[in-house]
This record gives sequence, C-alpha cells and structure tokens, in this order.
Amino acid sequence: MIRGFLLAVPLSLSLSVGYAQEALIDQTPDHTMDPGVNCSFRVNPDEFVDAAAKARAAAYQRVVKFSHAALTDSKGATLAPAQVPVRNFVDEEIFAALQKSGVRSARLSTDHEFVRRIYLDLTGRIPTPTQIREFVSSQEPAKRAELIDKLLYSPEFVDRWVLWFGDLVGNVSNNTFFSLRADGRNAYYSWMLESFSKTMSLKDLAWNSIVGKGNNFDVGPANYLLRSSTPGGPIQDTFDTAAYRASRDFLGMGHYDCVLCHNGRGRLDSLSLWGRNAMRADAQRMAAFFSRQRNVAVSSNNMDPRSLSRMVTDLPTGQYDLNTNFGNRPLRAPIGTVRNFTPEYRTGGVPKGGDWRGEFAEFMINDPMFARNFANRIWKQLFNQGLVEPVDQLDPLRLDPANPPPAPWTLQASNPMLLERLSQDLASKDFNLREFIRVLVNSSAYQLSAQYDDAWKLEYQPLFARHYPRRLEGEEVHDAIQLATGVLSTYRVAGFADPINWALKLPDPLEAGGTTLMNAFYRGNRDNVPRQQSGSIQQQLGLMNDTFVTNRVKMANSPVLRRIALSAVAKDLVEELYLTFLSRPPSLRESAKGIDLLAKANTTAAKNAVIEDLAWAMVNKLDFMFSY
Amino acid sequence: MPQIDPNHIARTQFWRRPQLDRRLFFKHLSTAVGGYMLMPSRPLETVARAAAAPINKAKNVIFVMMRGAPSHIDTFDLKQGPWLPNAYNPTSYDGVAFPQGLFPVLASQMDRIALLRSVKPWVVVHQLGQDWVEIGRNPISGLSRIAPHIGSVVSLELGDRAKPLPAFINLNTTSGPSSGYLSPVHAPFYVSPNGGGLLNTRHPDAQAAFDRRFALLQELDTEIRAESTLNPAGEEMEQFNTAARKLMYNPDVDKIFNFDTAERVRYGTSGFGNACLTARNLLRSGLGTRFVQINVGSWDHHANIYTGPLNPSNANSLGRQFDAGLGTLIQDLGNDGLLDDTLVMAMGEFGRTIGPLNITAGRDHFAQQGVLVAGAGVRGKRAIGETDASGRGILDYGWKNDRPIRTEDIEATIYSALGINWLTIRRDDPFGRGFEYVPEANAGSYEPVHELWS
Repeated sequence: MIRGFLLAVPLSLSLSVGYAQEALIDQTPDHTMDPGVNCSFRVNPDEFVDAAAKARAAAYQRVVKFSHAALTDSKGATLAPAQVPVRNFVDEEIFAALQKSGVRSARLSTDHEFVRRIYLDLTGRIPTPTQIREFVSSQEPAKRAELIDKLLYSPEFVDRWVLWFGDLVGNVSNNTFFSLRADGRNAYYSWMLESFSKTMSLKDLAWNSIVGKGNNFDVGPANYLLRSSTPGGPIQDTFDTAAYRASRDFLGMGHYDCVLCHNGRGRLDSLSLWGRNAMRADAQRMAAFFSRQRNVAVSSNNMDPRSLSRMVTDLPTGQYDLNTNFGNRPLRAPIGTVRNFTPEYRTGGVPKGGDWRGEFAEFMINDPMFARNFANRIWKQLFNQGLVEPVDQLDPLRLDPANPPPAPWTLQASNPMLLERLSQDLASKDFNLREFIRVLVNSSAYQLSAQYDDAWKLEYQPLFARHYPRRLEGEEVHDAIQLATGVLSTYRVAGFADPINWALKLPDPLEAGGTTLMNAFYRGNRDNVPRQQSGSIQQQLGLMNDTFVTNRVKMANSPVLRRIALSAVAKDLVEELYLTFLSRPPSLRESAKGIDLLAKANTTAAKNAVIEDLAWAMVNKLDFMFSY
Repeated sequence: MPQIDPNHIARTQFWRRPQLDRRLFFKHLSTAVGGYMLMPSRPLETVARAAAAPINKAKNVIFVMMRGAPSHIDTFDLKQGPWLPNAYNPTSYDGVAFPQGLFPVLASQMDRIALLRSVKPWVVVHQLGQDWVEIGRNPISGLSRIAPHIGSVVSLELGDRAKPLPAFINLNTTSGPSSGYLSPVHAPFYVSPNGGGLLNTRHPDAQAAFDRRFALLQELDTEIRAESTLNPAGEEMEQFNTAARKLMYNPDVDKIFNFDTAERVRYGTSGFGNACLTARNLLRSGLGTRFVQINVGSWDHHANIYTGPLNPSNANSLGRQFDAGLGTLIQDLGNDGLLDDTLVMAMGEFGRTIGPLNITAGRDHFAQQGVLVAGAGVRGKRAIGETDASGRGILDYGWKNDRPIRTEDIEATIYSALGINWLTIRRDDPFGRGFEYVPEANAGSYEPVHELWS
C-alpha cells in the first residue's frame, strides 16, 4: 500500500550547473463565477482550471489529514544511522557521516520501491509484473544481490550504459565541430556495445578512445578525437580541444578549457585551488601530446563507401608551436626563446618515445583523477547527485582527505573519504564497470527509500540520508510506455539493416528526431545542449494528447491491455494495471476507485473504456515520470 | 565541401585581450576606467559597467534565421555583374540596389527596410556559425555550454508567466541552442505550423474523453501530489501541466495556429510562409510571445544557384518563397499597426563567394554578409555600410565604429531595441565568473547599431 512519499529532487548545490533559481509563480487569476456567465470550458478555460485547482486543494487537505493520522503506524519511520545494516565500505562512510551529523536515515526501500529503481538504473527499463512478482514473492535472503547480478549481466544493461558512455564521449554524427557521419558514429557505437558486452574495462575504453587510429568508419574509438577537430582556427585550437575534452571526460577537469586561454590567476581564484595557480603554458604542454595527430580526408567520390570518412593518424614529428594570431583562443606567441612546447603531463611526466597519444593515455589512466572522475560520475548516475558537483569541475588539490587544502578552502567532495575509497575500489577492480556498480547498488545507502518521514532540511542534502528521485530520461519514458502497452515503434537509422524498436537502442539522441513525445524530454545533442532533467509544456501536452500515448492505450492496439482485460476479478485487474505501468500495487484508494469504475461498466465496451482511461491516467501520473 | 581556408583570414581576432591596437587602448585610457580592465590579471567581476541606454523601440522580435548562408551579393548587398540574370531586375531605391525581380514583395516594402552591408561573420562553418548567431558568442568557448539562446534571454527579461504562450517560440526547427543555464521555462517552444492547429492541444479521443480522463487522473494522483506539493519537481510538473491545459481547446490559441488556404497562398504556399503567417498571428494575439524565430533554408547554394533556389522566374524557388513570406509579413504587420513595435531581422551565418559563379554554377562560403532589418521604427530605404564593387571588402563601415559589424553587435542591437541592457552581467551562472549578455561589451568590444534609428 502506498503511503505517499516525498519526491524531493536534489536542489542545486553552490557550484551546480543548475538553472537560475527563480520561483515558478502560479499566476492563476482570482476569478469569481458570476451567475449567468457561460460556464463552458471553451469560453472560460481559466474558470475550469481554477475549479480544478480548488478541488485538488480540498482533496489535498483531506489526504494530508489522512496521511498524518496514519503516520503513527507507518513502516516508513526514519532510522538511526546505527540501525542500518552495513553492507560494504559505502555504508561505513555514509552512515558514519550521518551519525556524526546527528541526522536520521530514511528506512530501507520496500521490495516494490527497489525493484523498479534497480531495473531503471541498471537497464533503463521498468520491470514487468511477472518480474516484479517473482522478485517480491521470493523468500531468498540474498534476492536483491541476485537480481543485481542478473541485471548487471543482461543485454539491456549494455544498452543503458552505452547510452551513458555515449553521452560522456559525445558520440553523435552531427555536431558543431566536425561531422563523424552516420558511419563514424555507428562504428563507435558498435565498438562500445561490443566492449561493454565483453566487460572491457573503463580504462581500456578510455585508452582506446585516446589512441584510436585508422579510418573512423572502421575504427570506432578513432571518432573520439576526430570530434576535437576545431574549425575557424589554427591547428593548435584542435590540439587544445583534444586536451580539454580528454581532461574533462576522463579526468573530470573541465577547467582546462579556461586555462587553455589564460592563466588561472585572477580568474579561477575562487573556483579551484588547482586552477588559481594553473598556467596556460602547462595546459598547452598537455595539449602538446595531441600535436602530432592529424585527420586526413579519404575520398569525396560519392560512389565510394568510404566517402567522407577520415583517416586518423599521427605524424612522426611535430610539436605545439607558439605562432598563432587568430582563431578561437588568444594568440600564442614565443615566450622568450621558447618557440614551441613538447608534451608534459600535468603531474610532470614526459614521453619516452614518439607515440605521444599513447603516452598521454598511459599517464591518464594512471592519474588518480581518472579513478576519481569515474567514481564520481558513476556515483552520480546511480545516486542522482554527485559527491562532487558539477562532475566536470574536479579540483585535484581538494580531493585527498589525507592532504586537505589550506583554509578557507575545503575538501570538494561532500564525503571526501568515501570518494577516495570509491576511487581506490574502482582502480583495484581494474575499472570493471559492472563490479564497481555492484558495490554501489548492493549498499544499504543505495537501497534507502526516497521517503523520509521526518522533517527534511536543506543541510541534509550532501549526506544521502535517503534516495534522491530523478526524472526518467526521454528514452526511458518512451520504452516504458512501449513495454507497458506492448506496442512497439520502428525507427530506421542510417547504417542499421534492421529497424530499431527501442529508444535505448538508438545510437545517438538526434536519431528519431522531430517533434515526437520523446524529444520533448531534453535528451540533449551530445554537443552544446546537455541532457537535462527539466519539465516542459510540450512534455505535458505530449503525455496527455500525443497519439504515441493515446494509440498505445487503446484496447484494439495493445496486447498487454487485452490480456489484462481478461482478468475476471476487478481487484486483480486493477492491481495488474498498476504493476504494469507503475511497478507497484495500487493504494487502497487507488484500488477502490478502479474497482468502482469497473463495477459501473455494464458492457464489454464500457469496461474496455475504463481500462483505457486508467492506462492513460497511469502514463500521466506523477510517479510514472520518476524513478524514486 | 569547398570552404575558405581560415588560415588566410588574418587578424580576425574575436578576443582582443591582452593584445590591443593602440587606438583601442587609448580610447579606453581616456575613459575614467583607465584601461586597467584590459590587463590580464584583472578578473572580469571588477569591470565597471558603463551606463547603457537601450534604445527601447520594440516589444517583439521576429528573427529569420536563413540557415545555410545566403549569397549576400545576390540578395541584401546586390552586385550587378555579367553573371547576374536579367530576371533579377536590379533596381535602385534611393541609391540602394535591390533585386526587385527575386524579391518583389520585399522591394515594395523598401521604405521600411534597412540593409546592413558591413557585417562580417567570424567563421564560415555552418553549424558553428548558426550557433554563434543564436547565442551571440563563440560556441567553442567554454561559456557556450551554459549560454542561452538570445530568445531565452528575451524570455527571461520580458516574458510574462501570466500569459498562456511562451515568450520564445522557434518555428520550423526542432533543435538548436536551448535555454542554457537559465530555467527551462525559457527554452524555445518548437512549432512547425501547418495551419491545422497547435500540435497536441486536442485530445485525439475527443474532449469529453479528455475531461473524463483528466478528472480520473486528478483523483488518482491526489495522494502522491499531496506529498509532492512539498517538493520542487512535482510542483514544477504541475505548473507545466496547468500551462499546457490552458493551451488546449483554447480558441485564442487556435486562432493563431489555424489558417486557411487563402492565407497560405498569400504567404507563398510554403513551410516558411506558414511560419511567417503564424508569427503575425502570434503577435496579433498578444498572448505572451515576444521573440519568434523562423528558420528557413537551406541557403547553402554551392550549385545551380540561379537556375534553382534563387531563380526569380520560379515562384516556388526558395528566394521567391522567402520573399512572399517575409514581404507579406512585413506588409501585414504594417497594416496591423504592429510593425513599429516589432524588430524584424533576417540573416544567415555568413555570405557566399563573389563575382562569377563557381564550377558547379553556385557560390561557396565567404566571410562577408548582409542583414535585412525592418520594423521598430528603423529608418528604411537605405543601407548601413558599403562594400566594394565586387562585394569582397568593406569600403565604409557605415556606423560610428571603425570596424565591421559583428554577430555580437547584432545581438546587442536586438537587446537594445527591446529595452534590455546589453551590458548586463548576470551573477547567477554556474561558472561563477558572471554571464554577459553580450561578451566583452563592457570593455567596449561590441555595441548596438543604433544608426539604424537615425
């Protein structure tokens, strides 16, 4: 039975890449209904909106009374941190911090809460009623760990985490800088699928992306640096972009973008301890690792299948010259007698041989920031809030709890020891993504409920005293509606022989573009528009009125609804609907309402209409949109 | 595709610190600020903001994004050479040459139209150039990751949440820069109008079904929303839902997005024409929209330019459709009395090669362009700036600055026209460095082209 729960989405932290904090003001005007006024919705939509708001407010008052009264016997009460079972080092750190702050922990999630969350987080799909029942009814004490294991090694896990990695490396055919063409994007996408299926380590994925050579239509990872080709400037701009993107994506050090234009002093002083002392020349020495890389056009003959591909190669000689006076970054001029830079990694290493990209990749994967970056990003993906936010502004001088920065600087992570232990754990597992995720999601900290029955204070936010809900991504909404109704789409994507049915199998978010329901969900473009957890008017219009939804909830079209309709007992039918769409059983009120409607339906047609109405309502319900 | 080699564009710096030419340095020395903001060590935060006087002539903007980069010497900066077909009918309007044959309707509106001819783009790369125009700064800069579309800034400054329609509507596209770090409320609202109403404002199973279903939804959701009214995300969803329902079955909204064949034909019977028509309706309605972007293109005419897309004799060519749409829009806005309150601008991301056509009878990318401006009280029937006979180099910049007009100046002009202080630096940005509406404007690097109004 649902008690209702808090859906507090993490508020922006001080340096968070959130949007401007503005109050969303409800400007519903204060009308009174004059007698004799035409009361049709068409003429006075505002009146109806108001009336609806008033009805809801009244209902809210009733329910608040109800839920407060019922709280005393709630199984939702919070726990003292010491009461929460400690499963691994994640719990050691999280609950020690809670204990120290005197903050209570949320209770552990129920099986229903957990099953939906874990399926979505690991595979991007909602569970089916069969999967839910199997899990919930199992008496196996280790059932959560077993489900986690099963999902980690499922093909859907590969789809979901290739989407995550594709977002990270920006695998998209059309972008501001350089088109990879559909063939290049597909090569990189296929390579990712294969690598994830074979449990290739993140270290190897990153390493290959840095050193990839060959034709970008054949060698998937060669596409990573190809995207750094920077137009409108000298080739040093491209070296800089390559260094910046690699540093941001794989080391979490996005401030390189600033330092490649100017020294940090006077600009990054209050943002980054590393940054305030960072010198442009040092950043350029990082960029020098990429100064021998070139990409060469292959063919413009349209008959050639390699037409418009690029050969990504390295010259045997070359260095980062200080001789530019135009382009996207300020001029690069000799410094005294120094007319160019040869590579030097940020921690001091210099290449031994001539394969500079390979040497950069070695330094990079052994850099402690590499582990910290991925530990933080993967944590954020599962806990919906990073230990450091924003995830691409890590400060190397403020992360090591054994070497805290001088006052007034503080350690950057909300739980610095936890981030260090996570980084070490990830490295010790040779950057095996599945095994690292296993540690995270088996922890009690991950498995806490999103419901928090005590008063929640803003100060608690960094402590992870409960699970933070998130919105579903556009792809997840699309696939959830398909799974729940059994009606699939088909998308034709260049380079794929067979049509694609699932959004989570699309190679980049610009495919299946246009004004479709899915695209109202800010999937981003893997370029200059990031993926966003934001609502919009068109999302709401789409969920209510788009034929993507309304066609799928029709009995005539949906095999799942037809099967549900066969249920003889109204209570079972309603429960099946809720399990199908919302992955949980209905509350007493929800069940009563559904049973009541079905009881009033005297004909098959009327009964079908009720089921269709309920299905539509499910898709539009608040909790459909969220993973909690 | 053939492009200008950027290595041959010398000294096209967009970033003037710390190397300045003497003139600019002394110009700043002569102000009280003393030029010290230009020293590399000064953080941006301490730059004194000079007094801005936005010219504040308009309430609305219609921005026509001509994607693909139109040829400037065949359109807004007409050059008459042996290559030009007679059908272009080059005509002089008080000394301003304009292709009356290609753009007859616009030509009839010449007393309302000013042309900027000393505009230079920063890049000759499409996507990059288009983004640059839309966010008013270099998309490669780190700032571009948070930079909102100009329309989103207008929505932030001038939008009225009490009104049913979003302040920023983007027609005939579904992608491009969004609201950046600003609230998603200011994100572009995408519509591709076809005259059959606003998408998804009708329930496919009819209104009775919607009312019934929505009532059911409210009942079922009450418990969860009761708890969720305590949190931001659920509330945000509700607010968007309320705003969405206000658009449904709303006759005022319907009037904007439903139009008949006769109207379509007047506007040239094209997707662009439909969008122009919709823009007019949006402004007529007064339902809250202030910035309408209309996308048209592709203008990337590397081949067969005079026989295909810019063929004056073909009423269905891109050039003629562009003319019918935009020309009729300016005309109708004038007749409605809305033109004085509306800044109309049409531009692409750069121009095209000059002189005779290339080997495929087209034109390639070129670092010079023209911009069409109308409405908001701009003085028409003239050109600001002048290029040489070929259309390559600028002879006269045409405004107070001894330099070409840049993308950032155009951005400043839009803000100034709307009464928005283009020197604004917002302190709520996620980088903590300050977000400038117009980059470097406080250092005097860019400013509005107020000469449009004199």
